[in-house]
Amino acid sequence: MTSLPEPVAHLVAALGRLPGIGPRSAERLALHLVQADPGQVRQLAESLVSARERVTHCERCGALTETQPCAVCGDDRRDAALLCVVERPLDILSLEKSGTFRGRYHSLGGKLSPLNGVGPEDLRIAELERRVPSESVKEVILALSSDVEGDATGHYLAKRLAAFGVRVSRIAQGLPAGSGLEFADELTLSRALEGRRELS
Amino acid sequence: MHLARLRLRDFRNYLRLDAEFVPGFHVLLGDNAQGKTNILEAIYLLATLRSFRGVGGTQMIRHDAKGYFVGATVVGAAPAEIKAYWSPRERKLSLNGNPVKRLADYLGTLRAVVFCTEDLQLVKGTSRVRRRFLDLLLSQTQPGYLTLLLRYTQALRNRNALLKQPQPDAEQLASFTAQLVSLGEQLMAARRTFTPKLSPLVRLAFRRIAADADELILEYQPSVAGDFAVALANSRARERVLKTTVIGPHRDELGMLVNGQPAGQFTSEGQKRTLALALKMAQAEYLTGIHGAPPVLLIDDVMGELDARRRAGLLPLLNQARRAGGQVFMTCTAENWPAELGREFVRWQVQGGTLAAV
Repeated sequence: MTSLPEPVAHLVAALGRLPGIGPRSAERLALHLVQADPGQVRQLAESLVSARERVTHCERCGALTETQPCAVCGDDRRDAALLCVVERPLDILSLEKSGTFRGRYHSLGGKLSPLNGVGPEDLRIAELERRVPSESVKEVILALSSDVEGDATGHYLAKRLAAFGVRVSRIAQGLPAGSGLEFADELTLSRALEGRRELS
Repeated sequence: MHLARLRLRDFRNYLRLDAEFVPGFHVLLGDNAQGKTNILEAIYLLATLRSFRGVGGTQMIRHDAKGYFVGATVVGAAPAEIKAYWSPRERKLSLNGNPVKRLADYLGTLRAVVFCTEDLQLVKGTSRVRRRFLDLLLSQTQPGYLTLLLRYTQALRNRNALLKQPQPDAEQLASFTAQLVSLGEQLMAARRTFTPKLSPLVRLAFRRIAADADELILEYQPSVAGDFAVALANSRARERVLKTTVIGPHRDELGMLVNGQPAGQFTSEGQKRTLALALKMAQAEYLTGIHGAPPVLLIDDVMGELDARRRAGLLPLLNQARRAGGQVFMTCTAENWPAELGREFVRWQVQGGTLAAV
């Protein structure tokens, strides 16, 4: 049995380190690339390098950006009194797509998880504590995941931020818009019931 | 409900098995080490996603094979097609062609209760065995319990990881403690309300099969007395030394008292066996009561070990399964089932990883 030429094996190994790419997919991608049009491959390589070189984290909020500060942090029409805390930069994009939030963001870069060795010092919590007084934030909105670690992180932040006298809130949990009760799991339903609102 | 079709590939000593089963009684006959119990194990695996022999997935793969496949058609309220593939690198579980995303959505598709020699651990073993018994039954009957249990375990593992650090951050510990307390209190409440419902069933089953007029009481014994948050705070000194969470639902006990005495220490070997059997019978009866249909009963060579009185005690359960269109699978080395069970059996001969109707 002949093995793959060495450059291809290297490529397979490199692709296999990407998230969501298993050994099979890595091999398929590599074999596709080494047989594709050289121009196309060069273009791909160039866009990989340029994307990596041009995109950084916004020094203020942690979002992915080309400019410092990012477009949201640099936008004066944004309400600086509202600060929405998320886990990952990607979450900012999701919230921005909804188009309803007019405040600013702060990405933590993760959540507390002693099991995975992630503590407060690994998250951008110190930065958050600097921003709250310096940007005169009135309300911090926690938009974290609803698993145990996310809930614990929310609890932790609420305690830390209590010293600044800001309002700390958490986004509501409940049914996805447009779906019926039959698809919701028990925990979602019980949290939806807890967070019910009066109709006026 | 009943299991209409079972397919095994590379499972234990089965290279390939395709069998169809009607409702009613099935007796799997064969010498030792021919693969009788493996069939029960496969059915139990589909019901609970674990082995009743207490082993991991690797051990269920046929020698030299990459992974095992277990498939089944279950006829219940709605027919269900289950496919499970397991290998050290890959796990797949699908229900009616759709991958199962959440365990809670799957459990309950097939309900089974197994009677086997390992049941004795329910009485002789550590409290972990009894907690698992309690948790499995609650997960099968109470919506949301499994999610709660998984969240509690996650909070506990995180908190223990934190306690293992040289200087655990107090604020961080408080955050995970808050999670642990809120989830733990819900767990304890569920166990506290459930135990009194199970206890009379166990007592009746025990009375039916026990030789003496002993009184059996099942009792929930939480590891936490009073308020969980307060008790946790009081245990901080011990936590600092042991570097782990020393109290909580993960240390609960399901107490069994025979005539007021803890069963594990005082009863005879025969009584322990009776007690384990009573627990399992109560489990089957509780499931039947909740779901209106009996679970599939898997009986592994127990009949051989039981005296006439205990066998007779098991009869009502077996007859009920028959009446309700349920299914019973029994393994025997010889035709030693009691005559009182009647003669309506489907007989299967198990030999060297093959199954053939006799």
